[in-house]
Amino acid sequence: MYVWIWRHLPGPSAVKAVQCLVLFLAVVALLFFVVFPWAEPWMPFNSVSVDAG
Amino acid sequence: MTVDQLPPAPAGSPPPARPGAGRTLIRGLGQLLITAGVVVLLFVVYEIWVTDLFGAQKQAAATEEVDEAWAAAAQTQAPQTDTVVVTDPAQLVTDPRERTPTYQTLTGQGFAKISIPAFGADYQFTIVEGTSDDDLYVGPGHYPESQMPGEQGNFAVAGHRVSKGSPFNDLGLLNSCDSVIIETQDDWFVYRVLPMPEEIPTWSSTAPTRPLCADVSVLPSPYEQTVGREITLPSDYAQILPVPGISDATVPADAQRLITLTTCHPQFSAAERMIVHGVLTKSYAKAPGFLPPEMGEA
Repeated sequence: MYVWIWRHLPGPSAVKAVQCLVLFLAVVALLFFVVFPWAEPWMPFNSVSVDAG
Repeated sequence: MTVDQLPPAPAGSPPPARPGAGRTLIRGLGQLLITAGVVVLLFVVYEIWVTDLFGAQKQAAATEEVDEAWAAAAQTQAPQTDTVVVTDPAQLVTDPRERTPTYQTLTGQGFAKISIPAFGADYQFTIVEGTSDDDLYVGPGHYPESQMPGEQGNFAVAGHRVSKGSPFNDLGLLNSCDSVIIETQDDWFVYRVLPMPEEIPTWSSTAPTRPLCADVSVLPSPYEQTVGREITLPSDYAQILPVPGISDATVPADAQRLITLTTCHPQFSAAERMIVHGVLTKSYAKAPGFLPPEMGEA
């Protein structure tokens, strides 16, 4: 997968490395702002109240 | 990770053959597993640091809002021409029976502040109305069906133990008689943690030796089940009712004035809940420049 990405990025190695960094940060942002907030309610330590349920 | 490493080729030999389908599959699988590991680590980073940052922003906004609301209320209630600075706490002691909340609460908005000097002089959080996930992201949340600060019955508050500022991380470290101070628009209410179950049999002999415990006694019937701290089940809703442990939502005429704090237990788990109960021991009217002396018990 990563080999495939590396091959398909344009430019010399240094430019590819910068693009990889940008891609990585984009994935991290997607995780932090979309995926993790969505997954969070299912985490056990999120339940702090007592209820009749 | 070693699947990518080819055995060193002897000098002069032809280049190694192109990797087969099996090798590609195993390499792809390895990369997938490493990626999954990195994602899990990122989730830990998110829960431990990033939600703290987001929560701190929300908490700061809620605190600013409540400060503005209190300042506005102070303006309209008493348009003072001169400010009298009262420094003697005794002059500001109030009878909680004569104090009724004059403020409104809105779900998700702050209406009170909690300070626990035992957790440090800077431990203060704005309490919001409601215990939904969104409310608790802002700060500790008041169970809307429980009573208000200072009232007869039970002022019940839930808070995160892990992530999002972790306001109730250290509830397990509270001792009996530690103060939990609630500031509202017009009042200071000083609650103290009730005796722990193991302290109750000897309370009458040990309490007089502890200055902080002067106003804390083992609660009379029907409060046998109300102790300083206990671990209970998530379904133990009766803990936040006016008389904890008794499934009745009406406040008895002679009810105590209690505070109840709830959080998850054990840490990182949802299997149980940690409950801390306290009783109102003192209340003060708010005055410019006045802080309850109990705030200095750090």
